[in-house]
Amino acid sequence: MTVLTRRAGKAAAEQRPPAPKRHSGERIWAFAFASPYLLHLVALAAWPLLASLFFSMTDYDLVSEPRFVGFGNFTRMFGDDVFWRTLGNTAYFAVLFVPTQTALALGLAIALNQRLRGMALFRAAYFVPVVSSWVVVAYVADAVFNPQTGLANQVLDFFGLPAENWLQDPALVIPTLAAVAVWKGVGYMMVLFLAGLQAIPEERYEAAKIDGASAWNRFRYITLPGISGTTFLVLVLTSIETLQSFEQVFVMTDGGPHGASELTVLHLYRQGFQFFQMGYASAIAWVLFVLVLALTLVQFRLQRRWVHYA
Amino acid sequence: MRKTLSYVLVTAGALVMLVPFVAALSNSLKSFAQYIQVPPTWIPDPVQWDNYAEVWRRTPFGLYLTNSIVIAVLAVVGNVLTSAMVGHALARMRLPGKQALLTMALGTMMLPTVITIVPNFLLFRSLGWLDTLAPLIVPYWLATPIGIFLMRQTFLGIPKDFEEAASLDGANPWQVFWRIHLPLAKPALATLAVFTFTTSWKAVLEPTIYLTSPENYTLPVGVLSLKGQFVGNDQLVTAAAMMSLLPMLVVFVLAQRYFVRGTMSAGLKG
Repeated sequence: MTVLTRRAGKAAAEQRPPAPKRHSGERIWAFAFASPYLLHLVALAAWPLLASLFFSMTDYDLVSEPRFVGFGNFTRMFGDDVFWRTLGNTAYFAVLFVPTQTALALGLAIALNQRLRGMALFRAAYFVPVVSSWVVVAYVADAVFNPQTGLANQVLDFFGLPAENWLQDPALVIPTLAAVAVWKGVGYMMVLFLAGLQAIPEERYEAAKIDGASAWNRFRYITLPGISGTTFLVLVLTSIETLQSFEQVFVMTDGGPHGASELTVLHLYRQGFQFFQMGYASAIAWVLFVLVLALTLVQFRLQRRWVHYA
Repeated sequence: MRKTLSYVLVTAGALVMLVPFVAALSNSLKSFAQYIQVPPTWIPDPVQWDNYAEVWRRTPFGLYLTNSIVIAVLAVVGNVLTSAMVGHALARMRLPGKQALLTMALGTMMLPTVITIVPNFLLFRSLGWLDTLAPLIVPYWLATPIGIFLMRQTFLGIPKDFEEAASLDGANPWQVFWRIHLPLAKPALATLAVFTFTTSWKAVLEPTIYLTSPENYTLPVGVLSLKGQFVGNDQLVTAAAMMSLLPMLVVFVLAQRYFVRGTMSAGLKG
């Protein structure tokens, strides 16, 4: 995102007009145009940040007034086994999901980044799961991973392998969810990578070919550095999203079997909207927020080592 | 050689993407006996088209559909209009604190939704908006950071000559925006519109939290609620899920290039 700010700054500098004579009320007009976002900042950014910080230090059940409890919710969280388990589940899910999706999206983008006949059609096929809601995906996934009637066990059976219980097996539920999430999200990330690949100047490849560089070396020394910026963006976006993953487990497993797929935001949702412990839910939200922030900062620091901006 | 390999890889991938949809579609056309039959049949026999009619007969599916459409359309109109206005202010108008506003837009883009769930619920509760469609629409009328960035970028690229000519003719800033800049930004507006539509159509978390009466449900929440209602009739829920995807697919097929363009511009922005 540093690039974004830098570019935005540059664009703004270019934009600064040589101040021709303007409408006298222009500032008022500009203010009026910007007013929806000013309201947004107050109601949908500043308020939630401050309010959730306040509520995280209270006991609040929506009925009686919030009662100040200091860091009580946070100490409770540290002793809450379910919280730690959901954090572990979330991390496990992220470790399986993020690298797999990124690698697959890159591979597909490279395969699609040439003049293939019917390329638009292929791209569309990869995008259908992207535009589907998780509710639709849950039923599509059931057609595949249903232990009795699903495609997956049919395929295993074809190869003479034993059937699995997939989403109903505590050991397999998170890997299965991660596979479904990759299936759903890979098309979007693939298009991001396609954009990155198409921004690499063709001459670099031509020059490398003339110098006799092998296909692997061209990939290693031109393609990979060329798309490192996109890769960084994809990694930041997906890890932020993954830490907050909720809809998929809410719809597909409801955290089961036996809490094996309960992710942290599902825990938050239950505390807040099923047990009406808004204070405790806010405390969980803040811990997650800090984790997301920390992870993003670490990624920004690490990017200096491997991201090249041409 | 390399092309052949790519074809094989890409086709295999496309099959992996689409075959599950076909399997679910097949499930939605089975009788329950066939739905649970082991080993499964691929082609339903007989094909029970009536499952789809049954969903309409036995559920308020039409209401869910209407709610989803009303929310999505109003969200699209609101987000496109307000994001364009704010983007226009940031790109073409003399706004004090412009740079600070831009930085804050960037910051809110990184703000995780998880932090907003509880406070927004409380905010909408105090406004008396729970169990109405308002919490699912009104936020889109306050512009979205992504929309602002997309529109600002677009307006920056429009030459100044038009606007100067119009100003000389006595047009006020709103007329410049509405009659000159907005029509020139049509592709970006379309991109933002399809993205907003998709986000709104797919949402599960927000409608789950804000809506309690079945007559206010959107399609995802409505279909989800059928799960408990149709125990032993999973083929009907699958049919309902397939139907809830249909309008989205139509929009996607009609506006495919805007989806791709939008995703690409999101990537280039980073």
